[in-house]
Amino acid sequence: MTEMLQYSFMQNAFIAGVVIAILASVSGTFVVLRRYSMISETLAHSALVGVAVGLVAGLNPLWVAVVVALLSSWLIEYLRSSFALYSDAVLAILLSGSLAVAVIIVSLGGAFNNSLFSYLFGSILSVSSGDVMMIVVVGGVALALLLIFSKELYFIAYDEEVAQTSGIKVKALNFLLVSVVAIIIALSVRVVGSLLIGALMVIPSVSALQFKKGFKSTTLLALLFAVVSVLFGITLSYEFSLPSGATIVLCVLFIFIVSLVLNNKK
Amino acid sequence: MKFHLPIFEVKNLNFNVAKENILDNISFDILQGEYIAIIGPNGGGKTTLIRMLLGLEKPTSGEIKIYGKRLKDFKRWDKIGYVPQRASHVDSNFPATVQDIVNMGRTSKRAMFSGMSTHDHEVVRDAMIKMDVLDLAQKIVGTLSGGQRQRVMCARALASSPEILILDEPNTGVDARSQNRFYALLRSLNKNEGITIVFITHDVGVIVDDIARLFTINQKATICNNPKQTLSCEDMSTLYGIDAHLVHNHKHGH
Ligand SMILES: Nc1ncnc2c1ncn2[C@@H]1O[C@H](COP(=O)(O)OP(=O)(O)OP(=O)(O)O)[C@@H](O)[C@H]1O
Ligand SMILES: [Mg+2]
Repeated sequence: MTEMLQYSFMQNAFIAGVVIAILASVSGTFVVLRRYSMISETLAHSALVGVAVGLVAGLNPLWVAVVVALLSSWLIEYLRSSFALYSDAVLAILLSGSLAVAVIIVSLGGAFNNSLFSYLFGSILSVSSGDVMMIVVVGGVALALLLIFSKELYFIAYDEEVAQTSGIKVKALNFLLVSVVAIIIALSVRVVGSLLIGALMVIPSVSALQFKKGFKSTTLLALLFAVVSVLFGITLSYEFSLPSGATIVLCVLFIFIVSLVLNNKK
Repeated sequence: MKFHLPIFEVKNLNFNVAKENILDNISFDILQGEYIAIIGPNGGGKTTLIRMLLGLEKPTSGEIKIYGKRLKDFKRWDKIGYVPQRASHVDSNFPATVQDIVNMGRTSKRAMFSGMSTHDHEVVRDAMIKMDVLDLAQKIVGTLSGGQRQRVMCARALASSPEILILDEPNTGVDARSQNRFYALLRSLNKNEGITIVFITHDVGVIVDDIARLFTINQKATICNNPKQTLSCEDMSTLYGIDAHLVHNHKHGH
């Protein structure tokens, strides 16, 4: 158990993982309450486009992923707020669109399928010290923004129109929320993987909601569930040489099932 | 009571949906300190009108000014407390205690990084006492009854210390005792604290002594400056349609 902490790649994975767990669960609570869970899936696929571009062009895939996910999130919010489109339809369109683009870039680019696999499902071996720095700094800024505007975001989640009529800048804050979510998702493709990050955003919050508490307790519970899952998941990934995203999601799912059973006993 | 500057100035307002005229050439002012009741049949356009005053719906044509400014130039939305129709239809899983919801009333009054000040807590507590929801403070809103939730939403609006309260049938599902309490509260907010009130209701008889003017909205607006007389008018039933019988019970509740 303790020997794994001696490897620097494991230290990196744990630090990056915990930061991502905190970010994903806090932003996830707002996203789930807005009935906007699917945005995490869509942005994850957009991040994948960034990863593909990065790999082909020889740039840091993480940076490109952040940029592409951000652009995609603004496009989603623009389409959603400016046209009378169903937001789930917008998300579905951009999800398949992103995936198509990513697959084409990957196919044209050729022989890097192995490293792509790690971006899909997460790999503890892939987190460099540079990545950790970036995740901590950029993620820290994103978290700070969420916390600064948490009371406004909470109000908007409860009732968007009443929030607007009491002077809250709903449009700007909606852009802020999707931007922060985009950044968080792009940052997490290394440890959790783009196909599985949605689970880490949504499931801890949904599990916490089962306990029917107030806002603070719910957010803290979600955060606890996410961090515990990441710690266990990374450990399992190390012990059994499994993709870390998959083991993390299994831990989160386990917590979800327990929460469900505990709170819905007859 | 002296009335000062107009809070809302509405001129030649029209609202069409797919060529159907929902609101037809409506003009009125609402002055500071007024207590206005809005009545009208279901589908008459009361909610639509209020939503346009609040910038939630765009008029097809016409002009709306609020505190002398066009809606898009208006910045002091924190002066307005709004309780939408059917406010009680919240997601029953929403993670909020009654306290959390009423605290939301303070959101736009608080500075960016600050928590709730002692003053904020006092105002919130006072609002909860006024709406008789203090003993529900730690309950999750999703577990409350419809009428209780409605009272919580009113408490949230009161907690924002508004200069003008806009209430869209806030009484739906509220029991008789609480309703009478609520009418008394509105009367006192208006008379003692000078808060302007715009109150959409189907039960105008019981507040006829409190209100300054009565607007009847049924595609067109009819404005009555002397509500007590109007209520006995014969043509009320044509203006108000099938709900006209409601206006005869104005001796109750006082
Ligand atoms: N955005 C919209 N799209 C289509 N129809 C609309 C829209 N807004 C309002 N309407 C129509 O306008 C009419 C007026 O509706 P409104 O909700 O304002 O009535 P109301 O007077 O508040 O009725 P109630 O007493 O039932 O609350 C209705 O026929 C409604 O269908
Ligand atoms: Mg209505």
